[in-house]
Amino acid sequence: MTSLGSDDEAMTRWVEPPPAHTTTWTGIRDPVVLILVLAGIFDWLSGNPIHSILLFAAAASLLWVALRGTPEEADRPASDRLERADRRSRRGLVPVAVVAAALFSIVVGAFGRYSWPATIAVLVPGAFALWFAWRHAAPFAPGVDFAAEPQKLASRGVLAWIGLFVALGLFELANLLLQPSFKTDSYIHPTLSVMTDPILASHAGRSVVLFVWLALGWFLVER
Amino acid sequence: MTSRYVTLALYGMFALVALALEVRSRRSRSSIPSLSTVFTRIMRTRSGRVGVMAGWVWLGLHFFAR
Repeated sequence: MTSLGSDDEAMTRWVEPPPAHTTTWTGIRDPVVLILVLAGIFDWLSGNPIHSILLFAAAASLLWVALRGTPEEADRPASDRLERADRRSRRGLVPVAVVAAALFSIVVGAFGRYSWPATIAVLVPGAFALWFAWRHAAPFAPGVDFAAEPQKLASRGVLAWIGLFVALGLFELANLLLQPSFKTDSYIHPTLSVMTDPILASHAGRSVVLFVWLALGWFLVER
Repeated sequence: MTSRYVTLALYGMFALVALALEVRSRRSRSSIPSLSTVFTRIMRTRSGRVGVMAGWVWLGLHFFAR
């Protein structure tokens, strides 16, 4: 029997999940659930039922897991424990992914905005990404000591980013409320989506934005 | 200066602040983490990952879908 190196020891260390009642309470008061529900309500009021159903479904799924009170992914198969190493090996796929994303963007960019083909084309990678995020979330996964790494972030620095995004969200909300109605754009108080309308009016603009959207998704999945 | 330009200027200010935070995070011993580091931390939990990815899917739907 060979002895384990320090990395191997870290990979095989078991991180004890918290008690079930703690997990439940933490899940119920999870700000992510609240944010998703609030965003879903405003999207519903704006006349976008499909979008709000997505947000409500994500919130309901997280709440359901929290109410079950089971530790997340505690019994994941051993192959999943090497997820981080897999990420490095996946970097070889980047050129293929870039070409595929470019082709996707060019083809889907040809579809009209708010058309069913465009809707389905966005929903497919979106559903896959959500499944991937759900499947590969591993706060209590055996073999990975999430409590020990990475370095602790300075709360002041994190607050700076949170403050920026909250302020931007409130400003966007203010502009939305200053529109004549939720479904009528305002020239004086444009929201971000109103400002992107001229770009998204052309095939080339839609293709570029789709490519950036896919790149952002890749960046997030790689976190 | 019209209200529209004030609105646009404020959006620009948000972008500049984000850029400044990111540049500041690159300095050694900075107390401000990079945006990538913040997302990496957020996505260490299932709710964080699902929440962030739901936001990403929502962006695509918002700009392109019905």
